Amino acid sequence: MLARFSLLVHIASRHLIVRRRQTLVATSGVAVGVGFFLAVSALMVGSQNDFVRQLIDVAPHIIISDELRSPPPQPGIAAYPGGAVQLHGYRIRNEVRGLKDWQRILSSVNAIPGAIGSPSLSGAVTLRLGGRDEPLAIVGIEPGLEAKVSSISDKLRAGHLDDLERVQGGVIIGEELAQRLGRGMGDIVPATAANGTTRSLRIVALVKKGNSQLGSSSGYMLLREAQSLLGRPFIINRIGVKLSDPYAAETVAAGLEARYRYKAQSWQERSADFLSLLLTRNVIMYTVVSAILLVASFGIYTAVSNSVADKRRDIAILRSMGFSQGDLQLVFVLEGMALAVIGILLGWALGFGLMTILGSLEFSIGGEIQHMPLDRSPRQYAIAAAASLAAGVLAAWLPARKASRVDPVDILRGAV
Amino acid sequence: MTDPVLVARHLRRELPGDPPPVLVADADLAVMPGRFTAIVGPSGCGKSSLLYLLGLIDRPTGGELLFDGRDLAQMSGDERAAIRLEHFGFVFQFHFLLPEFTALENVMLPLRRLGRLSSREVEARANSLLADVGLAEKGWKLPEKLSGGERQRVAIARALANNPRLVLGDEPTGNLDSVNSARVVDMFRALAHEQGRAVVCVTHDMGIADLADIRVSMLDGRVIEVREQNPPS
Repeated sequence: MLARFSLLVHIASRHLIVRRRQTLVATSGVAVGVGFFLAVSALMVGSQNDFVRQLIDVAPHIIISDELRSPPPQPGIAAYPGGAVQLHGYRIRNEVRGLKDWQRILSSVNAIPGAIGSPSLSGAVTLRLGGRDEPLAIVGIEPGLEAKVSSISDKLRAGHLDDLERVQGGVIIGEELAQRLGRGMGDIVPATAANGTTRSLRIVALVKKGNSQLGSSSGYMLLREAQSLLGRPFIINRIGVKLSDPYAAETVAAGLEARYRYKAQSWQERSADFLSLLLTRNVIMYTVVSAILLVASFGIYTAVSNSVADKRRDIAILRSMGFSQGDLQLVFVLEGMALAVIGILLGWALGFGLMTILGSLEFSIGGEIQHMPLDRSPRQYAIAAAASLAAGVLAAWLPARKASRVDPVDILRGAV
Repeated sequence: MTDPVLVARHLRRELPGDPPPVLVADADLAVMPGRFTAIVGPSGCGKSSLLYLLGLIDRPTGGELLFDGRDLAQMSGDERAAIRLEHFGFVFQFHFLLPEFTALENVMLPLRRLGRLSSREVEARANSLLADVGLAEKGWKLPEKLSGGERQRVAIARALANNPRLVLGDEPTGNLDSVNSARVVDMFRALAHEQGRAVVCVTHDMGIADLADIRVSMLDGRVIEVREQNPPS
């Protein structure tokens, strides 16, 4: 079996060596296809991964808020489940907003392996300075816990998250807002809550520009100070959860919501529109790069097809010698495979080179030098190789099948 | 009395058509080991068609073709290819050597495909066969570097590589000068008489036909005469 295979490889390789120009053209086609597939997919997948990483990291993987997806059942209906109860004209009781029994929820979250929760209270205040009002969505946090569930610490231009604990009335705001207010690090800004409470807040840290998720009108305070400012002592309305496996967020969120009824939103749910866009983008990308590989496989088809046409006499003589139809088919499929493999190896080198060039390009974003996010994982190389090899084998199989069906009688009798 | 290598009974080959053109009509023939058989007849009488049927290159549309008691006409393409590889050797009017392989590599092809010998044994046997046809020193040459007679001798060496029981020649001297023709005919006679192989050769050349042990005459697709010219001793 091995001797047979080795012989067929020998015949196929001789065919390719003799037809150097066609071999070169076909392998170059595959190489260019694979090279550009790698460069484009590295760029697209890299940017996607970067985008998803930012989506995942910028905020907690799950946010449990004090909202409900459906209103709670009325007491009468709850008391007579399944009964013919109809209620009219009842008054809805005003309940204090906030997560009830949040310590229990937080304990449950922390009991999940690899999960950590951070309680917070968000509310609106107004910063008043020099006759100007700037709205600020304030989030009261426990700095030690929040640092573990979000990447806010990494986004700070100046100061530290821990400064909220060290400075009475400390606040962290965005650079853009500070600019609008004409204030900087250490300056004091007066803040007024909806209930009329006013406090003087000191800027202890600034969030870098360009963080759209944090916004230019959001700020962070210490949880207990936020509770005091917003007039909601001991209340929280949000628990942020970070998981060791971000992709388990949907499942974990569904479990928490089923248990506590509060809305638990995973990062996937919050970013569903973006993820859907990414899916569309991937479909477009893989369609385009597959077309490149398909065109490359036409080169293999042409090369093998010409080889079959040129070698009809050899095919007939090999058949007369006792080579089977399968042998002849395999010879030409091997030719296609060899063209594909050589093209893939050259394409890998070309793709690596293109990625190196793309990776070396520098861009200034928000005053920082950044590089293109590229996915250089072996997965892309494997996808390019598998797709090219499959396309090459298919492209070679069609003429190879024709070769195996050559009628030796016509050729042997008609040959000159 | 030795058994025939191949027996054709009412062997028939028609082409599609209405009425179907008949290439070979009800041929009866027994191919004997150790005998040199020549098939003769005018152009288009069906000599080569009969040879391709006997050599399993073409498939009959009727009749029986028995090899070792088995009807080859009913076998699959791969089974017929396996029998050709193991038991048959072909020599054609044109040498039909693979141009990108050296003379030695051409002779090694059927041996390598059969896969029964080691690489070293394959090369040794191919060299020995080339020496037998007087080309020991030219095994490394590509066919284009050999003369017409040399190419045909390489083709004979290749046909004998698998030690075939039946050697078939389709006008093997048709492209050679008289000296090389005589040499090839001598080889064919030796294959039959000294090595005990069955040799069947289609030829126009009556000089070669006269040297054969059995002369099969054909006309219009029919075997009209099978004449024993040189009875076995």
